[in-house]
Parts: sequence; structure tokens; C-alpha cells
Amino acid sequence: MANIFNLHVGFLRDGLSLFFVSTILLISLPSATYSLGYLKGHYSKGKIIYNWVLFVLFIISMLLVVTVNNALVFLICWESMSLISYFLVIFDEKSEKSISAGTVYVVMTHIGTAFIIAAFLILYNHAGSFDFNVLRINADTLSAGARNLVFLFLLIGFGTKAGIVPLHIWLPLAHPQAPSHISSLMSGVMIKTAIYGIIRFVICILGVSSLWWGNLILVLAAISCIVGVICALMEHDLKKLLAYHSVENIGIILLGLGVSMIFLKLNLPVLAVFSLAAGLYHLINHAIFKGLLFLCAGSVYKATGTRDIEKLGGLIKKMPYTSAAFLVGAVAISALPPLNGFVSEWLTFQAFFQGALSTTAGMKVFLSLSAAALALTSGLAAACFVKAFGVTFLAMPRSAKAREAVEVSFSMKVSMCFLGILTFVFGLGCVIIFKNLVVVSKNVLGLETLNVNFSLNNFILITANNSTVSLPAVALVLVLCVIATAILLFVLAGARKARQYDTWDCGYYNLGARNEYSATAFSKPFRVAFSFFLLPYRKTEKIRESFYHVKTFKYETFTTPIFRKYIYAPLLGGIFGLARFMRRLQPGSIHLYISYIFITIIALIVFMKKF
Amino acid sequence: MYNYIFLISILLITYYMVIVKRLPALVGGFRLQSLFLFLTTVSFAFELKEAALYIVAILIFVLKVILIPNFLAGITKKIQVNENLGLLLNPQLSILVALILTYLSYLFTFNVMPFTDKMQSVTFALTLCVILIGLFIMIFRLKAITQIIGLLVMENGLFLLAVTMCRGMPFLVEISIFLDVFISVIILGIFVYRINTLFTHIDVNKLTNLRG
Repeated sequence: MANIFNLHVGFLRDGLSLFFVSTILLISLPSATYSLGYLKGHYSKGKIIYNWVLFVLFIISMLLVVTVNNALVFLICWESMSLISYFLVIFDEKSEKSISAGTVYVVMTHIGTAFIIAAFLILYNHAGSFDFNVLRINADTLSAGARNLVFLFLLIGFGTKAGIVPLHIWLPLAHPQAPSHISSLMSGVMIKTAIYGIIRFVICILGVSSLWWGNLILVLAAISCIVGVICALMEHDLKKLLAYHSVENIGIILLGLGVSMIFLKLNLPVLAVFSLAAGLYHLINHAIFKGLLFLCAGSVYKATGTRDIEKLGGLIKKMPYTSAAFLVGAVAISALPPLNGFVSEWLTFQAFFQGALSTTAGMKVFLSLSAAALALTSGLAAACFVKAFGVTFLAMPRSAKAREAVEVSFSMKVSMCFLGILTFVFGLGCVIIFKNLVVVSKNVLGLETLNVNFSLNNFILITANNSTVSLPAVALVLVLCVIATAILLFVLAGARKARQYDTWDCGYYNLGARNEYSATAFSKPFRVAFSFFLLPYRKTEKIRESFYHVKTFKYETFTTPIFRKYIYAPLLGGIFGLARFMRRLQPGSIHLYISYIFITIIALIVFMKKF
Repeated sequence: MYNYIFLISILLITYYMVIVKRLPALVGGFRLQSLFLFLTTVSFAFELKEAALYIVAILIFVLKVILIPNFLAGITKKIQVNENLGLLLNPQLSILVALILTYLSYLFTFNVMPFTDKMQSVTFALTLCVILIGLFIMIFRLKAITQIIGLLVMENGLFLLAVTMCRGMPFLVEISIFLDVFISVIILGIFVYRINTLFTHIDVNKLTNLRG
């Protein structure tokens, strides 16, 4: 135990750390400039300074988490990152919601940390040091049972932070409560540090030793994807909706990671490198577009004071820049070409298809099913963002607040614009970026670099075994056609004079905001289709004057929060029940307290011989 | 030889304290117990020829025989409560329990402690018994003052253990313990007085309002 404090702390300078450092810096820059405008007028001066202190500490702690090379120091940084983000979640400490969301967050994250500590202690016990290199060398001689245990602990620990279903419960509560620039950091970057943890500790240090590890991650990832996106579809709070999409996207990243672990175990190094690179690509892409979307949501909140999209609408006329930025983000997250989300999801699909081609029976089916899950997810995500964008920005305003919205300040627009441009850069510059990510991926997996080669030329992927995968050129042509048509239409229509008039109302008159398609109505088909999971129910309330005349009619529809109801509520109930039972030990009588001591002593005296 | 007479007397006085029903009698019992403690200490000091033990003995006499009992008696008079101790267990059963405790400490000493000298083990059993009976008094008597006296009886037992087994503790420790005991008795006495003025009783089993 003596050498526990004999720390040799250094910094890692390998590809993986550099990749995460650049991701963190890339997102924190626009987040910082955005907060200039966002905080002004919303908070007092002292509060703004407090925010900056926490903000800087938060970024420093995240940077340390992804660079230190000692497990003990890693834990300290990890814990400070969690605590600082907790204080950021409860930044609006006057609101009851923030406090309760913060509590859920801090409890969940500490449960996760406990598992991480347990895993590290097992590793330390075996290796006798916390240094990454020593851990890596000694991990080879770890027994199979201990290895599996460490893997499971790491998966639960980091999975809690990443928001894998069913450990995602804190994510939709905590992310919306933080100020928006912080939400963008938390959702864009902080949960990615958990992915870093899984890559660093499971793949680099522990080494993938069983096939079922990858299978488990793949299954969990597929569930996260689908559950995340279905919950997002049901959500009408703009920031909560985005938070659920984080669950979904973490799932997509983990799909790449999990399938890479499977390939590694099946001895397909080329594909392993390829799919890990795809996962990493989606990681940075998600950081960019989710950061952008959270900033846009923050702008909407700043301008209107509400995050409920049922109360918004028509913002495209009042806030054109924000709307454009949100649209770009929505297109990117829905994986439409030519933006960045498309590239990484396409690469992940390729990984699955290639895998299904190169493996045998059972694995073929499994990989195809995972690919199907990913396909379903992207489709639903697109539907969700049609809802989010359409209801928030199009049509008529649904409330006075939305009617009086004004465009946000310059610094906020600049930050959104910066991230918007990045989505294009990462979409169109994929050839260069992917090449670099392949280098990182090779480095992580520790494979021989000579026989693994990729190039993405004209959207044609060439792998070492000379099989080529090409992006359907047709799609590209179609995109170009659409753009050309749009330009043509614009040129033709631009010549005509536009006439301002009300929307054609089919012979009805006086169509108002109440006649609009609402978010609830839009998501109804999905509520029906996924009713086996969402368990929707409704409440109706009629007040009648007479049998024929219903004076008011109230109709509410709900979905059952299935994880909270069937997993967390019974668990919490059990804990509280136990606590209530234990409280009977403490009835307030001094005599009883002393007699506890007395009985203990007597018992010790009587049974001393036995010990 | 005198030692053993004194020790047996301490045990008998402790039994007496178990069966008394009134507060002044309990305080008197404590005074008497402390007096015999003083005598034991003096005889040990004489036997071992240690100057420090004499000083400690004088301190016992001043504090435990005169000051503390006087203070407790004063408080009992001042708060003018019912002199009854409020027994949770009647004297007959109490003395039975005390006898069982004596037997248990005897068993414990002979089965567990590695003494070769028979007299030493008897002494040990006796002191252990005094400590346990102090605890017993704390539990089965209602009035807050009895809790203080129970604590003091336990302290007497511990002191006796230290003197008979290890020829007393280091002098500085001894002095500081005396100071602690004295101050804690004063503080507890003041608390009892305040409790009485606030609640018009000092029955500990009624003080359960503050529980969570």
C-alpha cells in the first residue's frame, strides 16, 4: 500500500487523447462565446463570474480526464468533473426542478463512479500500480473471471455517465436544467469522456478477451438507439428532446465501438480499425451537431422564455439565423447528406454490411439486425426533427411569447454559425478526417499498420483486401438534382412578384394557431406504433351543463415512463422501506440507546469465548 | 488484606445502590462508594509506595466524596422533584439482575482473561461487575440525575480497574480524567436543572420529542 501515493503522473500524447482533446476544445470555444450573450440580462453579475469559474474548471477537468496516464489521478479528475457539472446543473438553484434533477444526476453518477473504483481496485490489486502502462502489461495475466468482472464494472460505471439504457435516467433530467451553453458541453463532450473511458480501459488496457463483450455492447447500443429516439419522439420539451437524442447517438457511437470489438475478436483487423474509426467519427460529429442544436434551443429559450414546443411556432420569421442554424443541425442529426451525420452513420452501416459479408451464420444475422436497428433509428430521428423543427419554427406562433420573440445577440449567432459551418466541413472533408481517424483507430487497437489501408476517394471506400464499397452514386446525383431544381425554381420564381396573403384555408375562415398541427398530434402514429413500449394512456374530463351541452372538455394523453416505473421506482421504494424499518431502532428513548450498548457488552461477555 | 475488605465493601455498596428507591439515598450510596474507593487507593499507595497515588487519592476524596455528591444533593433539593427514582425494574428483580451480572463477569474473567493469580482475577471480576451495574443503573432508572450517577459509578469502576490492575494510570491522565468528570457532572447537573425548569419533570423516558 505504500506506493499508492508514489505517483508518477504524466500526460498521454497518443492519438486517442489528442482526438478527445481536440473534440473538447472544438466544442468549448463556441460554447464560451455563446455564453457571453446568453448570460447577459438573464443572471446577475456575480452569477456570471461564478459561471465562468465553473466553466473553466469544467473544461480543465475534462481535458485532464482524457490525458492523464494514472488511474488514481484519472479517478480524481473524473470525480471533479462530475461534481463541477453537478454545480452547473443546479446553476438555477432557485428552481425546484434543477435541484431534483441535480440530485438524480449526482446519485446516478456516483453509483457509476463506485463501479469504476471497484474495477480499478481489482486491476490495482493485480498489477500493484495505478500506472496505465503497468496495468496494461499486467492485465494479460488476469484470470478470466476477474477480467469479465472488471469489464462489467467498467461498462456499468462508464455506461452510467454515457447514458446507456437503462442507466440513462439522469440524462433527460439534468441536461435541460443546465444553462444552454453548458448543456451543449455536457451533451456534446462530457458524456463522450465515458466513451473515452470504455475505449481506454476496456480496449487499450484490459484487452478484448471474449466475444460476448462486443455482443453485449452491441445489444445495449442498439437498445439505447431505439429507446432514445422513441422517447425523443414523445418529448415536447425542446432540450429534453435533444437530451434523449444524446442517448440515441451514444448508442450509435457504441454500435461502432461494439462491432469493432467483435471484429477484433473474430480476427478481422481491417474491419475492426474501420468500425472503430466510424464510431469515433460519429462521436465528434455528434459533439458538433448536438452542441449546435443545444445552442439553438438556448436561443429559443432566451427569446421566448419557454422550452415547450407546443407553445412555440412561427419563429422562422422572427429568428431567421437561429432557425437556419437549427435546420442545419437537424439535417445533420437526421443523417442526411451532405452534412456530417450522414458520413459517420454511413460508415457505421458499411462496417455492419462488411461484417455481415465476412462472418458466418449466426453473426451474419446478428450484424444485420443491428444494422436494421440503426436504420430504424435514423428514420425515427428524421421524423423527430421534422416535428421539432416544424412545430417550433414554422406556421403561426402558438403563444404571445412566441409572437414577441426577437433574434438573439451577435455572439450567440456567431457561435451557432461556427458550429453550423463545422457540420459542413466534417461532412464534405470526410476524406481527410477519416484518414486521420483511421490512424487513431489503428493506434488504439495496436494493430500492424502496413496491411490496413483505407482511402475514401469520390465516396468509394477501398479496403486492403481490395473489396470496394461505394456510396450509391445515385444518391449523390439525386442530391445534386434537388439542389439544381431548387436553384432553378428560385431563379424562375424570383422573377415573379411575391404577394403577401393568408394561407389558403380550404373554405374555412379565420384559421388560427389553434388549428395548427401540434407536436402531440404529429407523434400520435408513433405513440400507437410503439404502444407496447410506451404504454400510452389518456385522461378525459368533461364538464356538462346538460346532457347535450358539454361546457368544457379536457383531454390529456400520457406515456408511461417505463424504466422509472418498473426499475427505479421499486428500487427506491425498497431502499426507503428498509430505511423506515431501520428507523424503528431509534425511538428517541435514551434508556433504549444505553441498553443497546449494555446488551452488546453482555453479548460480548457471554460469547467472548467463541471469538 | 485491607484491600479486599475495601473491595468487597465497594461491591456491597453497589448492590445497595441497585435496591434504593430514593434519590438522596442513591447520592449517599455514591458518596460511600467513593469513600471506599479512596480507602482502596490509599492502601494501594501505601503498599506500592507511590507518591502520585496519594495525590490521586486526595483528589478522589475532595471531588467524589465531597464536591460531586454535595452538588448533586444540592440540585436534587433545588429542583424539588419527587424523590422517587422511578424504577423501571423493582428492587427485587434489580438485585437479581445485579447478581446475574456479577456471575457473568466472574465467568468472563475466569474463562477469557489469562490471570494466574486468583486474587487478581477476583478483583477484575469485581471491577467489571461495578462497571456493568453502573450501566444498569443508567438504563433502568427514570430520572435524569440517575443517569449522571450511573455514569459516575461506571467511572469509579474503571478507576478501580486501573488502580488494582495497573497501579493507576499515568499521573497526567489521572488528573485530566478527574477534571473531565467534575466538569461533565457540573454541565449535566445544569442540564438537568434546565430540563426541569422547561418541562417541569426530569423523566428521561418522556423526552422523545426530538426524534427524527
